[in-house]
Amino acid sequence: MRTEAGNVRTAPAPRARRRRGGDGLLAALLLAPAVLLLCGVLLFPMLTTFRDSLFVNKLTEPWAGTPFVGLAQYAQMVGDPRFLTALRNTLFFGVLTVGGSFLVGIPMALLAHTPSRVRGLARVALLLPWAMPPVITGLIFAWLFNGQYGVVNDVLVRAGIVGEPLRWLSTPGLAVVAMVVTIVWKTSSFVALIVLGGLQGIPRELTEAADVDGATRVQTFWRVILPLLAPSLAVAFIFRAISAVQVFDIPYTFIQQAPAQGLLETLGVYIYRTSIEFLDFGYAATLSVALFAVSLAVTLVYVRFVRGGEG
Amino acid sequence: MEQAPRLNLSERVIRALGLALLVFGGFFPLVWMLLTSLKTEGELQQFPVQYLPSQPDVANYARVFSEQPFGTFFMNSLIVSVLSTLLCVAVAVPAAYALARLEIRARGLLLTLVVAFSMLPVVSLLVPLFRLMRSAQLLNSYPALILPYAALSLPVAILTLVAFFSAIPRDLESAAMVDGSTRVGAMTRIVLPLSLPGVVTAALLVFVNSWNEFLLALSFNTRLNMRTVSVGVTLYQGEFAFPWPLISAAVVIAVVPIVVLIAVFQKRFVAGLTAGGVKA
Repeated sequence: MRTEAGNVRTAPAPRARRRRGGDGLLAALLLAPAVLLLCGVLLFPMLTTFRDSLFVNKLTEPWAGTPFVGLAQYAQMVGDPRFLTALRNTLFFGVLTVGGSFLVGIPMALLAHTPSRVRGLARVALLLPWAMPPVITGLIFAWLFNGQYGVVNDVLVRAGIVGEPLRWLSTPGLAVVAMVVTIVWKTSSFVALIVLGGLQGIPRELTEAADVDGATRVQTFWRVILPLLAPSLAVAFIFRAISAVQVFDIPYTFIQQAPAQGLLETLGVYIYRTSIEFLDFGYAATLSVALFAVSLAVTLVYVRFVRGGEG
Repeated sequence: MEQAPRLNLSERVIRALGLALLVFGGFFPLVWMLLTSLKTEGELQQFPVQYLPSQPDVANYARVFSEQPFGTFFMNSLIVSVLSTLLCVAVAVPAAYALARLEIRARGLLLTLVVAFSMLPVVSLLVPLFRLMRSAQLLNSYPALILPYAALSLPVAILTLVAFFSAIPRDLESAAMVDGSTRVGAMTRIVLPLSLPGVVTAALLVFVNSWNEFLLALSFNTRLNMRTVSVGVTLYQGEFAFPWPLISAAVVIAVVPIVVLIAVFQKRFVAGLTAGGVKA
């Protein structure tokens, strides 16, 4: 529209205004279905969650009714050791899996970027972990890390690294390692794809110029490529941080395999259990608001970053 | 065309090893499920592990369908994923067109809200959505999943499409409008056909998200004949027993559509995901 307005300098002002008015109506019509769907299915339930967090609502104690308790459940949450553990687990896993996915994802992107005869195959290998259902990823890795017949144990024993099979999923420390490996496998692809997008946007002349100036490949990477990748890395980081905070499916499947692992309980899993297993809808809503808050904090960083980049 | 990288021998070796590792790492877990699915329970209980099945046996695949109505699960997933994709794209295309092309004063705010919606944790919406579906008497029905799947993928679809629409030169549209075409005519006849690759990309992203979703499917459609495959694969495990050959076979069947889509549309997926930093 802007270029158009520049072109039709001779057009009378009222006509232009009428056109803009028409645009407004058209825009409203085009946006209405999306707004309706987002508000009905996402915004309304979200607002309900805020309201629910102020009421006690336990399906296991129907005689208690649903009394308004204000912020009492928030006070309960702050003193709830299980919540604090879940929050700590979530942040701990977040740091390890986000860091891990960058360590693996960036080299993956560099490999997928260089032209090669197996590029199509490499692309499929890159996309598979991203596209796999998370719950199925959880199942597959639970089998790879099986304590008796798992292939991970087999490789470790054959290589002489361990004497006998490790009980990965039922030993607390090892269960954490297994879960971090699984999540890193699943999420590195995403980092790699965003970084790949960044790499494709870097003009070839820049790296060639560095080459001509006698820079080594490592120097070119650190001094030329990495700084230019900064925006892609930031976007990948924020989306990874968000999904790390919300992680549910993979810990859920791992806990099914090794039920006693409080160590694997993330905030998402605790909310699920509070609502579906303990049927404590009020407290689940309170926990959900905490998860909203953490997600929102990361979102705000993202929005600020994106808008800062645009402006 | 592509640059001819002047790599020396050691660099070539490193790159070849890296690519081999990438391909192996990406494929191995699924290949291992495929191998496991062809083994018998007895064959699995050997250590050291026997890598190849001594007598590849497809009996597990038959059992997948006889022990659970997996064919029904598969059809349910297909119906839900296709319909939520159609709904989502039908809603996202006009919205993205408006955001990318029309003069909207609140454009920045609207895009920010779309991004914010894409970051809502699903588990936090579980209980209120459950109640909503219950009061609408939609539990154990296709719309119980189609509506939330379309809504949850809508932000991603809109952001992807906005990126694609924005890349189409405005002059093409202006030219059509100068030639007497209406704004809507220019949109349907000029912009939409050109952005078909973007629409396909968005549709693929929505389909994958819907096919993979687990939590809502687990909680909303609890009747056996309304289950989807992502929940279906977890139904073969007993309380203490994990019949891995059977589970593996179910997993292999469950990911066939995903693997086929990825193999066929790998370029589109990469384009879509790299376009605007879209969420996975």
